[in-house]
Amino acid sequence: MGNAMGTDIYTLGADIGSAASKCVILKNGAEMAASTVESAGAGTGGPARAFEGVLAKAGLRREDIAMITATGYGRNSFAEADLVISELSAHAIGAAAFFPGVRTVIDIGGQDAKVLRLTEAGVLDNFVMNDKCAAGTGRFLEVMARILELDVTQLGDMDGKAEQSAGISSTCTVFAESEVISQLAKGTPIPEIVRGIHESAAVRTASLVRRMNLVLPAAVTGGVAQNRGMIRALGQELGCELMISPDSQLCGAYGAALHAYRKAGQ
Amino acid sequence: MSRIDDILTQLETISRNPRAQLDACLAAGKKAVGVMPYFCPEELVYAAGMQPFGLWGADMVCDQSRRYYPAFICSILHSVLELGITGKLAGLSAIMIPFSCDSLKGMATNWEVSVKDIPVINVAYAQNRKIDAGTEFTASQLRKIRGQLAEIAGREITDADIAAAVEVYNADRAAIIAFADAAGKHPKLVPAAKRSAVIKAGFFMDRAEHAKLLTELAELLAAEPGDRGYIRVVTTGILADSPALLEIFEENRICIAADQIAAESVDARTQTPVTEDPIIGMAERYGKLEGCSILFDPGKQRGKELVELAKQAGAEGIIWVMTKFCDPEEYDFVPVKRMADAAGIRVLSLEVDRQMVNYEQIRSAVQAFAEMC
Repeated sequence: MGNAMGTDIYTLGADIGSAASKCVILKNGAEMAASTVESAGAGTGGPARAFEGVLAKAGLRREDIAMITATGYGRNSFAEADLVISELSAHAIGAAAFFPGVRTVIDIGGQDAKVLRLTEAGVLDNFVMNDKCAAGTGRFLEVMARILELDVTQLGDMDGKAEQSAGISSTCTVFAESEVISQLAKGTPIPEIVRGIHESAAVRTASLVRRMNLVLPAAVTGGVAQNRGMIRALGQELGCELMISPDSQLCGAYGAALHAYRKAGQ
Repeated sequence: MSRIDDILTQLETISRNPRAQLDACLAAGKKAVGVMPYFCPEELVYAAGMQPFGLWGADMVCDQSRRYYPAFICSILHSVLELGITGKLAGLSAIMIPFSCDSLKGMATNWEVSVKDIPVINVAYAQNRKIDAGTEFTASQLRKIRGQLAEIAGREITDADIAAAVEVYNADRAAIIAFADAAGKHPKLVPAAKRSAVIKAGFFMDRAEHAKLLTELAELLAAEPGDRGYIRVVTTGILADSPALLEIFEENRICIAADQIAAESVDARTQTPVTEDPIIGMAERYGKLEGCSILFDPGKQRGKELVELAKQAGAEGIIWVMTKFCDPEEYDFVPVKRMADAAGIRVLSLEVDRQMVNYEQIRSAVQAFAEMC
């Protein structure tokens, strides 16, 4: 498995999601040599940009990469891939590396949410996915942010400014949108509405977690893990601490790169 | 082409073109009667010299049916009603509609209002189907249906006719089970979509011919070496005939080792006892059926049977093909899954719908399930 960079082994994981494309290059299956996140997912130019970008950042060429594993919604259309794994397996591998000993992983992605159960050895043992509904997913938060004329990345900070929560009772994206508009019409402060939105989404996500029976410790992965307000609301709803990582959005790509490394060694 | 491929192609063609089967039947001067799920007394139709024509709906967008059913009623009923309203079932002499679930309870009325030229035969079975009074009630209903069918057929239906039909159906049920068992050992020769099509073809053709072909197929398969390297599963649910879904199983080297699907082996697993009055035998059979959420099953025999099936088949998991908006299935899922969990058997639930066009979430779930196994 020698390559242009000497004896080091570089592997690449590409997580082609519905809303974003993420790539990670791992050096010797341990060190993250480079990563990219492009806010454009499957079927766009995002995957190619993320791929070319991560190679450029790492100062590597395609032929320097020993193995590439693709995952995510667009995994089967990523032509550079040597291997393909489901995003559930990729997140499980990534989460086991990010959070050693983690037993429950809540992955909130752009258009779906998944709860993974890992064995004590960090192997995927069971999972549930959300129904075909945007509630409790990143899309729900994006829709709500748009109504509030906010960027989705501002929701976490906005939640922190709230003194109380505006009740958003519906977990349906369409009906919740109406409720948010009603709250705006009543003059409810935006931070309170944001907190209500997070609590509404947290109820939905927590119900998915409960279908699996929560086993601790638990972690949140996916882009939504960057939203402190959502993590607070979800932790409160589940009655536990949730682990997050600054690289949570890269968890699937990291897991894919680690999978590639393990396969390259076989 | 080998004889195995020849039979598979023949049955696959029938299952994919039910209207052509119906047209051929009508052209031959034979009457046909639509048979909706679940467990309608097809034998009586057969005994009357008519062709039973299975109606489990179709993968299609429903539009007209929405005038009669809200969107949250299962797509099997929606699509059957849509086919009726849009004239796709023209030529049927009647349709048998049971009352097996809450959604079906409104089906006969909706049909009578929206499809004027195909009369309804109501099929009422006893809820408490295992007690003597239940058998007696079911038998009384079957006798009523026998009279209605005789009127449509324009001929008497004798006990001998029914006994002969029961014999044909028992033979076909045995052939389906033998085929399903053989297919479970040969997923390369009979991938999941073909397996489904072979069983489904029986809804649209003479059961005696179906039995003959399936028996031959099972014998031919038995002479072939078994395929290795597949993940063996047992499927359960109401219906699992979507080629798009079953192709995802194939992509992930999943072999259906056995099934507990209402439209596949559930009906076939129970033979009709041979009784002096064949109607009594048919009513008794309804009391013996197991493994379906619409059957009154207070002890959840379904879960015990499913776990046993999985163990016998050497299955690594159970795939629950969950028909969207099916309350009986949703209610069964929790206790039955607990039984599987207790037995250490993994369960994957996939929600499906006749109107689905995007299977990407299912693709991820099936691939992850295969990666776990």
